[in-house]
Amino acid sequence: MTRRFGIIVALLGVLGVVVIDWTLGVPPDPFRSPDPMAFGSTSGASGAICTFAPGAQQ
Amino acid sequence: MIRILLIVGLLSTLAVSAGVRFSLLLSLGLLIGFSLERMGFGFAGPWRRLIRDRNAQGMMAQLLAIGLTAIAIQPIIAYAPGSFLGAIAPVSVTMVMAAFVFGLSMQMILGCGSGTLINAGSGNAIALVALPLFCLGSFVGTLLVPFAIESTPHIPVSLPALFGVQGSVGATVIGLIVIGLIAARYSQAPLWNRRLLTAAIILAGLAILHVLVAGQPWGVVYGLGLWVAKAALGLGWDPATTAFWTHPINIAALESSILTDTTSLTSLGLVGGAALAAWKESSDRPFEQSVAIWFYLVAALFGLLLGISSRLAFGCNVGALFSGIASGSLHGWAWLLAGFVGSIVGVRLRDQLWSLAQTSRKS
Repeated sequence: MTRRFGIIVALLGVLGVVVIDWTLGVPPDPFRSPDPMAFGSTSGASGAICTFAPGAQQ
Repeated sequence: MIRILLIVGLLSTLAVSAGVRFSLLLSLGLLIGFSLERMGFGFAGPWRRLIRDRNAQGMMAQLLAIGLTAIAIQPIIAYAPGSFLGAIAPVSVTMVMAAFVFGLSMQMILGCGSGTLINAGSGNAIALVALPLFCLGSFVGTLLVPFAIESTPHIPVSLPALFGVQGSVGATVIGLIVIGLIAARYSQAPLWNRRLLTAAIILAGLAILHVLVAGQPWGVVYGLGLWVAKAALGLGWDPATTAFWTHPINIAALESSILTDTTSLTSLGLVGGAALAAWKESSDRPFEQSVAIWFYLVAALFGLLLGISSRLAFGCNVGALFSGIASGSLHGWAWLLAGFVGSIVGVRLRDQLWSLAQTSRKS
């Protein structure tokens, strides 16, 4: 077996995550999408970020 | 040619079905994954080479990438604080301990936050075992973060807020130069590698574009925990029982498609980009590693620890180290020091276990 098998497994995993989320969750709504870029727009960051610390002192 | 058409089709479909911003974020993830895999730029590997081989080339490239990003994104974030958000997080005892564990764990599987995704995308068997546990750990970490915040003081320190943007950029650049001088003094190899420096400049450019598009710096682990949280939701888990997932930002993320989540898109892109970069040579490289099966269990365990620790440390090498320092967050510097000490332990431990795993396989 070669690394190509591993790549196919990884891509199938990614596809699986997207398909499961799409079918069981709420599909995206393009009419509610933010502006293409946050820069120069009023629709900025989502705030869903790795440094998110709920309840920490601000 | 077929692969290019497929990607253009995928990005166009995403732009139409979700929005242009999300298509741009996936593009950035693909470009980062492709560049890092093709140019051999990473975080865990260069730290290993510095510690083990006294070769600071990769470390110097990392410092250059962080410095260039900091110079650009701190003024951008300060320009519109309502729309833009820096990767600012608290410093605490648990945060430092978690960064230590992350540094150790990333050496055990030779894959950090971005590295594990890229290694998995390039077909690496150990990363493919570690990645699902990394995701699970990231979710478990979200359940532990509120307890950590309640039990120990967590103090966010933003250098731009303390010193102004110019002072913060200056302090960040000086700090990076100091780290570079220490690494250079320790190194016994030539300091500069043109390929890695080129990769650093490309990565900095893509990280700056990420801020302009998303309004926030590049991150990895938030998305991984979100995927498991959504799966848990489907299995009957009640997010109302946790302080983390009852915050409006996280409720919105749970109720939306992952195709509209910033870190999910770039993380999916990292896997895809690495797969594209590695595809051609993948048929000549063996899938199996020359180690005993039990090492895969070790990889799974440390994958889980990567996930838990990266949440408690408020980011991995990307969200905390790269984007934290570039944003002017003191926690990024604390992460760097604690993560590096953890890596020193991790390099020693991995060498011993890897050797044992190779011996076990032969016997």
